[in-house]
Amino acid sequence: MDIERFSATDRILHWVTAIAFLYCMLSGIGIAYPKFHWMLTLLGGGEFARWLHPWAGAVFSVGAILMILKWSRDMVMKGEDWLWLMRIKAYISGRHEDLPEVGKFNGGQKLYSWVVFLSAVIFFLSGLPMWFPENFSIGLVRWSVVVHEITFIVATFFTVIHIYMGTIGVPGSIWGMIGGKVSETWARFHHPRWFREVRGE
Amino acid sequence: MSTLTTEGTVGLGIRRISASKKPDTTTKQYPELAILVDISSCIGCKACEAACQQWHDLTPPIMTPEEVVQRRIAGYQSHPDLRHDLFMLMKFNEGESEGRFVWFITKYQCMHCAEPGCLIACPSPGAVIQYQNGIVDFDHSKCIGCKMCLVGCPFDVPRFDANNKPWKCNFCIDRVTAGLEPACVKTCPTQCLTFGFKEDMVEKGKKIVQSLKERGYKNATLYDPPGVGGTGYIYVLPHGDKVKEYNLPENPRVDASIGLWKGPLKVLGSIAIWGALLGAFLQLILWGPIKVLGGKEEDKEG
Ligand code: HEM
Ligand code: SF4
Ligand code: SF4
Ligand code: SF4
Repeated sequence: MDIERFSATDRILHWVTAIAFLYCMLSGIGIAYPKFHWMLTLLGGGEFARWLHPWAGAVFSVGAILMILKWSRDMVMKGEDWLWLMRIKAYISGRHEDLPEVGKFNGGQKLYSWVVFLSAVIFFLSGLPMWFPENFSIGLVRWSVVVHEITFIVATFFTVIHIYMGTIGVPGSIWGMIGGKVSETWARFHHPRWFREVRGE
Repeated sequence: MSTLTTEGTVGLGIRRISASKKPDTTTKQYPELAILVDISSCIGCKACEAACQQWHDLTPPIMTPEEVVQRRIAGYQSHPDLRHDLFMLMKFNEGESEGRFVWFITKYQCMHCAEPGCLIACPSPGAVIQYQNGIVDFDHSKCIGCKMCLVGCPFDVPRFDANNKPWKCNFCIDRVTAGLEPACVKTCPTQCLTFGFKEDMVEKGKKIVQSLKERGYKNATLYDPPGVGGTGYIYVLPHGDKVKEYNLPENPRVDASIGLWKGPLKVLGSIAIWGALLGAFLQLILWGPIKVLGGKEEDKEG
């Protein structure tokens, strides 16, 4: 039997945010790294990608903020989550007996959700002066670029890992976001406490 | 990296292109050009401004009297600021020096920096070009319209049209290439503007500064800011202690934030992103995907 992990609202929010983020990330890489300038061609051409990037960014920021508002209760970092993070090597190497019991989200997922939320705020605040450089003081615009870039590095680092875990790294997770249901075995194995809660045990 | 197709660029020789590898400049070397602006012989006639507009077919809107009052601009200045359709502007500023009234006049346009902040900041390969002769120009076909050239420019020069393409003084590159002097220089009635090799212009400027000093302008200087490696537009300033009054930055340089953004942060970003990809790959080949129950009972219940 499959159990519901993400509601339709959850899934729509996640994918709107994710696609907007991906567009920003890929066009950002194309703009920031001349060696990857060719990627802008795939995203509609340099001019178009530069035009769409801030709009996609605005969609991402709004989406990420709505998402955290909806999910924040499940995302609160507790002592056990920090412990989980400290023992992350056990998780990725398959020695799960060494890990604290996990609820709906594990420490890594919770940390990522806060990285995304914070980055949504900082990307927007730093992106705005870059969008309209003539309307802000030049010093503010210049340092916004630096802040935007640092946020990009942190957010992209975590996102690469997030995408890997969601697809290849943890087989079965993707169905939580596609269709919304995961298998019982998957739930019991990866999120045992959540599984018991859902079952009303 | 970029494929430059602009007519005549090879003939002129390229020193540097935005977001691209530095060209080999040993094959062809051109001497640097410069325009010397001797403010001490400028009469503020704005003929250069008119010539610039005429040569480039520019028709910036004329300020209304209300706008003049509203923007508190000394009545003699024709526009409040540079525009995408106004490449140069004579700026007028009333002030005083040693108790005497002085009209600080400046010719305001792109300075053609040897270290151009616009080119360094531009993320699009080939959109900003610096020629061997020192001229800095844009290639709109390669420009993505991000305005980072303005963010990098220490002189607040590029202005953008409706499609976010930047415009500025291009040193009349078309005229210069054809062996003519720039339009503004050609029209100047007092020889306040001179065009020639940078070396000669510096020498000439120094001589004028010397004679100004002899005539009592003890603070006279030649403005050729070293912070940006020197400029293609150099100025004789009679009141060299009051650079700011001339609306010129005192020690312009490409801002430290630009260096940080284009240098260490790019390296850090590459390491972080490639590192994350490598980390994921290592997890995959060392331990494999994290399967339910280590993959043992998957068939039974999954
Ligand atoms: C949230 C709203 C956002 C706004 C308003 C915004 C705005 C901008 C603007 C106007 C630029 C243009 C600067 C240029 O062309 O060089 C830019 C560049 C960039 N953006 Fe964003 N952005 C946002 C979100 C994002 C996101 C989510 C990412 C990536 C995950 C991102 C990564 C980048 C990168 C890497 C650059 C290039 C910086 C460089 O040239 O080094 N941005 N952003
Ligand atoms: S003055 Fe500004 S636009 Fe002109 S070359 Fe220097 S940095 Fe570039
Ligand atoms: S707007 Fe300026 S910085 Fe941006 S691509 Fe065009 S020339 Fe380069
Ligand atoms: S050099 Fe040419 S483009 Fe530049 S200010 Fe003079 S006339 Fe205008």
